[in-house]
Amino acid sequence: MATEIKSDRLKTDEMIINMGPQHPATHGVLRLILKLDGEIVRHVEPVLGHLHRAQEWQGQNRTWFQYQALIDRVDYLSGMFTSWALARASEHVDGTEVPERAEYLRVLASELNRISSHLLWLGTYLIDLGALYGFPFYPFREREKILTFLEEISGQRMMFNYIRIGGVQRDPKADWFKRVEAFTKEFPERVNEYEAIVTENPIFLDRTTGVGVLPKSLAMEYGVTGPSLRASGINYDLRRFKPYSVYDKLKFDVITFDKDGDTRDRYLARVREMRQSNEIIKQVIDMIPQGDIMAKTKKQNAGLRVKAGEGFAAVESPRGVLGCYVVSNGSDKPYRFRWRNPSFSNLSVLPPLLIDRPIADVMAIFGSLDIILPDVDR
Amino acid sequence: MIANAAEIRKFTILSWGWLTIIFGLVWAVSWLVGVAIPLLLANVQADWARLVTEICQVLTPLVAVMVFIPINAMFMVLAERRALALFTVRKGPNRVGPDGFLQTLADALKLLFKEDITPRGADAFMFTLAPIIFFAPSIFGALPLLAAVTNNHNLFQVVNLPTGIFYVLAVSSVPVVGIVMGGWASNNKYSLVGALRSAAQAISYEIPLVLSIITVCLMAGTLDVVKIAEMQKGGLLNWNILGGGALSGLNKYFQALAAGQADAHQMLSQYYPDWGSVIATVVLIACTVLLVGIYLTGACAEINRIPFDLPEAESELVSGYNTEYSGIKFAIFFLAEFTNLFIVSTIATVMFLGGGDCPLPDWLNPLTNPAVTQPVGKFFSFFTDRIHLIDPSTFFPAIWVIIKVYALVFFAILVRGTLPRFRIDQLMAFGWKRLVPLSLIIFVLVTFAKGAVRLHV
Amino acid sequence: MTTETSQGKPAENPPTTGPFGQFLKDHGINSSPLPASSGVETLEVDSKDLTAALRLLRNSAEVALDFLVTVSGVDSPDTFDSVYHLWSYSNKNELVIKVRIAKATVKADYLPEVPSVAPIWQAANWHERETFDLVGIRYLGHPYLRRILNPWDWEGHPLRRDYRQPVDALNDKSPGSFR
Repeated sequence: MATEIKSDRLKTDEMIINMGPQHPATHGVLRLILKLDGEIVRHVEPVLGHLHRAQEWQGQNRTWFQYQALIDRVDYLSGMFTSWALARASEHVDGTEVPERAEYLRVLASELNRISSHLLWLGTYLIDLGALYGFPFYPFREREKILTFLEEISGQRMMFNYIRIGGVQRDPKADWFKRVEAFTKEFPERVNEYEAIVTENPIFLDRTTGVGVLPKSLAMEYGVTGPSLRASGINYDLRRFKPYSVYDKLKFDVITFDKDGDTRDRYLARVREMRQSNEIIKQVIDMIPQGDIMAKTKKQNAGLRVKAGEGFAAVESPRGVLGCYVVSNGSDKPYRFRWRNPSFSNLSVLPPLLIDRPIADVMAIFGSLDIILPDVDR
Repeated sequence: MIANAAEIRKFTILSWGWLTIIFGLVWAVSWLVGVAIPLLLANVQADWARLVTEICQVLTPLVAVMVFIPINAMFMVLAERRALALFTVRKGPNRVGPDGFLQTLADALKLLFKEDITPRGADAFMFTLAPIIFFAPSIFGALPLLAAVTNNHNLFQVVNLPTGIFYVLAVSSVPVVGIVMGGWASNNKYSLVGALRSAAQAISYEIPLVLSIITVCLMAGTLDVVKIAEMQKGGLLNWNILGGGALSGLNKYFQALAAGQADAHQMLSQYYPDWGSVIATVVLIACTVLLVGIYLTGACAEINRIPFDLPEAESELVSGYNTEYSGIKFAIFFLAEFTNLFIVSTIATVMFLGGGDCPLPDWLNPLTNPAVTQPVGKFFSFFTDRIHLIDPSTFFPAIWVIIKVYALVFFAILVRGTLPRFRIDQLMAFGWKRLVPLSLIIFVLVTFAKGAVRLHV
Repeated sequence: MTTETSQGKPAENPPTTGPFGQFLKDHGINSSPLPASSGVETLEVDSKDLTAALRLLRNSAEVALDFLVTVSGVDSPDTFDSVYHLWSYSNKNELVIKVRIAKATVKADYLPEVPSVAPIWQAANWHERETFDLVGIRYLGHPYLRRILNPWDWEGHPLRRDYRQPVDALNDKSPGSFR
């Protein structure tokens, strides 16, 4: 009898915590319903949609030209890639030939954008790990420079609207290339600086090694793509695997790791990808030809039309495979847009990664997947 | 050469400006209450005059601390923000007043006038009591240190205790009660988790912290902070950080050598007679240097600073135990946090860094040279002898204490600007599996090594 | 080039069976080819064959279409389409599979029903929830078919062509409304 009473008193309850939508570290407005046993997470349910802006619905109710300008907002850290996916899908359907210089400019702008996106991730990820005040501002120093470059060619710092159906918006001046080249020369040194602070930091190693291990099978099951997938040891980079644009002419290796990726591998994958993008930019500046930047058949005004048909095209965005499924019926408005957002698929793998981890790892793992909430909720 | 030299210069000016204001004010208030009023009443032959004089003298330390704590916290918040900005190629607050000088004053005013919210479902009484319990120990705990940092000045002798450091440590473990109380009373799950984390962390890290201090007391043979500070006088080699006084023989030897004494070598063999004592000295030095590390780590955890700021881990628990606090209550939490940082730095200064002692030994120190001190002393004699505004035996030690304490504070800021946060299980593992055994081993080592060498000769 | 999908007109050249259509046929699953979607083979599969077909395509070593890129819903003029884009992690195969439910066969106040592939691919879980939410296709056998992007009590399916917004979000003066 006595033991029964004792065990009854020792009974502990699970605690349900709403992490988000207002929370300093959920990168926007993700809401996670966590069931905690002490500090250990026992059940996770992500609740999406707090940032749902009906981007697909707007696509059906805007003209092609209007929607082009709107779509950068889907993934505000890498607007080039959403524009590019839209442009590629529409060009596929339309059969438009894009001038070669435009393709090179697209690669150049996108790789710059990839670096800036990874830089912001690096800073905010260290915030997720608790380095609130020191390191996170260093990547922003370089990011500012990149955004200034992109502002010069597109007139915008984040919502570029630079890559258009049929080409790119405008040709940069000659000295722009020189300045970008000067930046690419100093940039590896900056990455060395970050790595010197972070990579071998003992607390960073403690917090990341063996945390959030994403096995290959799980990654493939959930359709995870991008650096998170490659850190898990799957050699899958669209730029290499199904080369689009001019990537088949450029020299670079796909960054993969030969084991199941943990949080630290995902960090390393992104840092190495920054160096790799830097090399690609150097090559592009050397190789870029003269010529048109916009297909002659495509006019950039409200008269923009895409032929009837349907097509799917994807680009390798900083977060993974960013796909766009377009159905056109030849009118001034698209018939149906469907976005395949890398963050959406990558986020779906979060619950299995979080189960039985302490609550401190929730942000370490969530941050390492590099989720952009507008990209999830659209 | 240095990229942000201009910013560093601004930061230096700002720091010295604030420090002048803080300590000028404290000095003025202590002088007014402790010296000026009794001086004025010295010729009045009445009972009330004696009573007022006594009350004034008893109140002096309390008034000094009460004046000091808020403005010092204001300065430390500003210094922290500016220093972090320096580390991270930003500018920091630079709008309010000349170059951001008054930023935290404005912040403090804003916090005072903010609405004081008690969340629905919270235990209002406990909710209000928590910040007070959190803050009160930082006032009362600091008192015994006053005498130690002012070179045992008459005005502050009243608050000195024979068991000083024991009292300070005992009081400094009270704030965790305030945190748990606040976390529980807030009726918020994040606060609760933060508070429980804080309790676990404080209990774990108290042990290495206290063990490191106890080891120093063991070497010194006393718990009285004034005595511990006095023992360490005479330059860097006498400080507890370098062998707890084991090197003071070497210090004496250097002094004799500089004075040109012939029997200097004999002196050395007198202090270090055999190899055993030399080995013991080396062991003691290694132990005390480690002890400082253990103390600073434990202190960081005790006052919840990065990398041990789990109770208020922003990316996990929103703001931990003070999530629901706003206005004046939050201000008190904030104030107490920075005051605690100041107090642990002061303890480290007194226990390890020689208190108000100049790092240079006396025979190298120009400030103790009579050729310098006498004319200067004559020049200031009106202030020193007539109205007792300046006491040279307190003035210079106080400056050294200020330099040392704020150097440690700056170190804590530097750590904050560098490291990520531990996870709770790693924190516990580090505390119980590394720090506690290490400090116990050092305690035993010191116990044995202490017998083989004369300390603080 | 005109296609049947969006125009409702018959294609000019009837599409021929591609390699994947042949592969499915060899394993006893019927499929009818549709006009290629920008160069990628497109098959229409009957909804009752869908699970078997996808399981086969995923698990066979030679085809290895093991990467479900996306599940989309399209409200075409005559049909509700559930579109599956299949890629492979190990080779360059691509395939688009469509399940088309004729609108005439869907009863009033009922949703078109398609078997869920979430038991085969976890990746399909959220994509199907989203398609259910926005286009209104009910996936049978889905473990947790609940609205994902819209609020849980939202009415209607916004990407239907006949959708009308129930609440005017900008001009809603009702004090009880939370939208």
